[in-house]
Amino acid sequence: MTTASEQELTDRDVRLFVYRDFLANGVPPSLTDTARALRITNAEVGESYDRLAAARVLVLRQGKREILMAAPLSAVETRFRVTLADGRSRWANCVWDALGVAAMLHQDATIHASCGDCDEALTLTVQAGKLERADGVVHFAVPAARWWDDIVFT
Amino acid sequence: MLLFRSEEHVDAWCRKHAQDRGAVFTPQQMWVVAEEWFKRRLAPDWRRHSLQEAQELFERAGLTGDFWRLS
Repeated sequence: MTTASEQELTDRDVRLFVYRDFLANGVPPSLTDTARALRITNAEVGESYDRLAAARVLVLRQGKREILMAAPLSAVETRFRVTLADGRSRWANCVWDALGVAAMLHQDATIHASCGDCDEALTLTVQAGKLERADGVVHFAVPAARWWDDIVFT
Repeated sequence: MLLFRSEEHVDAWCRKHAQDRGAVFTPQQMWVVAEEWFKRRLAPDWRRHSLQEAQELFERAGLTGDFWRLS
């Protein structure tokens, strides 16, 4: 039986490991990878994944304990590829998250995106904490209060 | 939450997908939100923004009106 504060510490450690590993490898860690790295059981990691998903920190694949999103990072290819100043490239979930990768890492970044309608290449560039190049316009189809009704569509 | 070449391409996408037009705004406004939203995500003591903090952030970016109301 773990206390609420022990769960909070576990969730913090799981969150930090997931992000660190996801950034290092470009894909999210499996539940087993996370358990091994943190020296806790698969069951404890699974419960932590569930809590982090309920808190909207992680998005898991439907019916599974596999990470699909750890915003701003995406486990699958999207329209938004972020190339960082240190040479790494990572997939982001949406235009908000693509800019979020640069913000989260406090790095210059170039976002290689494409028009949601015609697929033409569009570029956003972040330099020294400022958006220096900004092609196109942003469109949100879903009102803010309903974003989490279907976050994959949103 | 997509990027489009222009508002005309937003309208074409909405027609194609039978979606109502939502909110159209600039990448600069998106940057104001994203920068604040994610800059502390890797901090050990990070916590989610409260609804009120998020609402105030949208307002700072000029994203106001019913579409942006979180509660």
